[in-house]
Amino acid sequence: MSNEVMSALKKDYIYNLILKGERSDGRAFDEFRDIELRTNVIEKAEGSAWLKLGKTEVLVGVKLQVGKPFPDSADQGVIITSLELNPIASPDFEAGPPRENAIEMARVADRGIRESGAIDLTKLCITEGEEVWMVFIDVHVLNNYGNIQDAASLGAIAALMTATIPAEREGKGEDSPLPIRDMPLAVTLVNIGGSMLVDPGLDEEAVCGTRITIVSNQDGSISGMQKSGDGALTEEQLLSAVEMACKKASQIREANLLNI
Amino acid sequence: MSDKPEKFIDENGLRLDGRQVDEMRPMKMELGVISRADGSCYLEWGKNKVMAAVYGPRELHPRRMQKADSVLIRYRYNMAAFSVEDRIRPGPNRRSIEISKVSREAFEPVVLTHLYPGAVIDVFAEVLQADAGTRTAAINAASMALADAGIPMKGLVAACAVGKVDGQLVLDLNKAEDNFGDADFPMTFTQDGEVSLVQMDGNFTQEEFKQAVEMCKEGCQKILGMQQEALRNKFAGELSTDEVDVELIEEDVVEAESDDVDEGAAEPEEVDEDVEESQDDVEDHSMIKADEPEFEEDEPEDEPESEEDEPEEETA
Amino acid sequence: MECNIVIPGQFLSDDAGKSGHGTYVKDGKVYSLLYGIMNAKNKMSVIPFSSKYIPSRKDFVVGTVINVTPSNWIFDIGSPYDGLLHVSEYPRRVDSDKMSGIMGISDSALLRVKDVSSSMKVELSMRERGLRALKTGRILEVSPAKVPRVIGHGGSMVSMLKKETNCEIFVGQNGRIWIDGTDGNMDRLAEAVEMIMEHSHSSGLTDRVCRFLRNVSDDDSENDENTQKGDFAEDEEDECKVHGDACRTVDALLDAEDE
Repeated sequence: MSNEVMSALKKDYIYNLILKGERSDGRAFDEFRDIELRTNVIEKAEGSAWLKLGKTEVLVGVKLQVGKPFPDSADQGVIITSLELNPIASPDFEAGPPRENAIEMARVADRGIRESGAIDLTKLCITEGEEVWMVFIDVHVLNNYGNIQDAASLGAIAALMTATIPAEREGKGEDSPLPIRDMPLAVTLVNIGGSMLVDPGLDEEAVCGTRITIVSNQDGSISGMQKSGDGALTEEQLLSAVEMACKKASQIREANLLNI
Repeated sequence: MSDKPEKFIDENGLRLDGRQVDEMRPMKMELGVISRADGSCYLEWGKNKVMAAVYGPRELHPRRMQKADSVLIRYRYNMAAFSVEDRIRPGPNRRSIEISKVSREAFEPVVLTHLYPGAVIDVFAEVLQADAGTRTAAINAASMALADAGIPMKGLVAACAVGKVDGQLVLDLNKAEDNFGDADFPMTFTQDGEVSLVQMDGNFTQEEFKQAVEMCKEGCQKILGMQQEALRNKFAGELSTDEVDVELIEEDVVEAESDDVDEGAAEPEEVDEDVEESQDDVEDHSMIKADEPEFEEDEPEDEPESEEDEPEEETA
Repeated sequence: MECNIVIPGQFLSDDAGKSGHGTYVKDGKVYSLLYGIMNAKNKMSVIPFSSKYIPSRKDFVVGTVINVTPSNWIFDIGSPYDGLLHVSEYPRRVDSDKMSGIMGISDSALLRVKDVSSSMKVELSMRERGLRALKTGRILEVSPAKVPRVIGHGGSMVSMLKKETNCEIFVGQNGRIWIDGTDGNMDRLAEAVEMIMEHSHSSGLTDRVCRFLRNVSDDDSENDENTQKGDFAEDEEDECKVHGDACRTVDALLDAEDE
């Protein structure tokens, strides 16, 4: 048994609970697990956030380096987001280069941050066409208890919001805070038995056929979306998911990000 | 990159960070931090931050990697991209692969590998922040994670490094001493004083070397004490709230074998036969297979490579 | 009684003859191999806090199918070693192509360990009354080391649980417990098992859990509870009395020893 197979009995149990309007950990369908967030935990990183979403735990580090801009955006800094499903975090993760799940989650997180304009890339320009700041966002998963996507997204924005541009170290002037002007947050819902559940736990991820992640911004606009899994959603489910995601994102923002 | 300091040890005999030459950086640890793993330990040593977790024994795939008569130990030392000043690309590199190998070999002499043939014990050590001595920090954390996972070991393993700066031996190098010093000498000691990891990089005279070993050994003994304390303290609070009835536990172990294990299902008659089984068999509860040699026999030891003159009385 | 937490390599005794489970001998002295609780009752033995289930002949286990081959079902039994149920060990004759229909991947079953070879090849059997594929119910997971607590002295704990929750219970040595009953009763039973896990080191646990189950039942509906009690008094009085009394006697003896 290299990957744990969930017994049909367990799947039935979770499924039936949901039909009764309950979740296996007692949460409401629209309830997130408890969030614990600490920033500036890794001094060597320019920004960092240690995040617990229920028992899911991720550590996000932000590092900045001087590099060359892309030719078609000569005056803009560069964002590079990586996520590793590290084998330390789950018996199901294997060592090796990131595979499709890890890559998908990294790219969804990346797009959400990029498209929201949270980082004004022109402010990261040092010398047009020659030198810009490259922002590396690295998500290190420590414990998987479901919904790494949302944990990664929240950790990333928290790390960015508390990051410093290490200008002194690179001889480019004085250190200054990384200018962040929005707080994009991913909220993931899963479809089990026709009901949409927010913040899927480990068991719920194993049972669901469809996952939808929506990244929204402070003003309620949407900067990213991704459906994954082998099932499908009705149009109605999709629209209500988007509405729910924006609502939850704003609650999480208020509870966790306004004071850091 | 910082420049080489002019002096590493000041006129009062103190190092750049205020320590004595034989003083280690402060260390603290916490067990059971990764709930998905079978055992885990978060450890801070100076500014080093490492997370170790153990999965196993568990099934090993592909089959061709399975060892017929013992468990395979795998050790993966990995540094987070943001753990150092200059970001490193994620993934294994030559350095981390070498460290993984020698670290695994540090544990192989103490784990009772013959108990789980064909299976694997995976040890993961993630460096979240690095500040010289990450491989030794990782080993110290891994040692506790293995104990936390219930892996049978002859004893814990402690690791520390000795270096040389300004002609003086120093214990537990910091970053500057590691980068600009004249030697880096990490070792691990097992609980009975054997050396299961030795690496050296730099320059020692024979005399310096002997002193370095002594210094390292003392450091490791202190670390061992801290590991033991952390393990004891993990449950101290919990267990003291209930009456601990240790007697009951062995009673249960004995009784279980002689009882109808599942009331509603199997024939009670068949299980009753087990009642006649000898006490010894019954004590070998499912944790250790009855066929396996009892631990009573003396473990055949290889000739110890320790530098000290410790008389090892072999009675095998 | 002080808690005797021991760690690997810890010295336990000068008497090599006292080496029990979870210990080893070196130079005539006994040391612990495990991180756990030491028991010095007869020999020195150590019960680890954390352990994997290693199958033994005659163990009852609850398993989940992870693969079906032309002649075997391969079961995950919560161990580093999978179990094989050969088609001849199924209670009826089965054609190869019908196997998945009877039990497919993710189906669970009640089984017995028939044999474990020295290379850890685990053979399972279903050729016993009471063993079968499962279609209903739930599987609870507990630490294998604490399974004896769920069974109790002379089966006292498990019979009490059955009586108080009106559920079928099959306790697997591999730390998996299959239960079946009404949803409400299964919920209570699951809570009771959690309580056993949390307080596994305490004495008098059977009574404590019994009281817990009765209190919960009281809150829900007194009528039901009274009806249940009445029924049981008639049918299972003898059976329960034997186990109940035995357990109380043994518990009392143990308590006396402690004082």
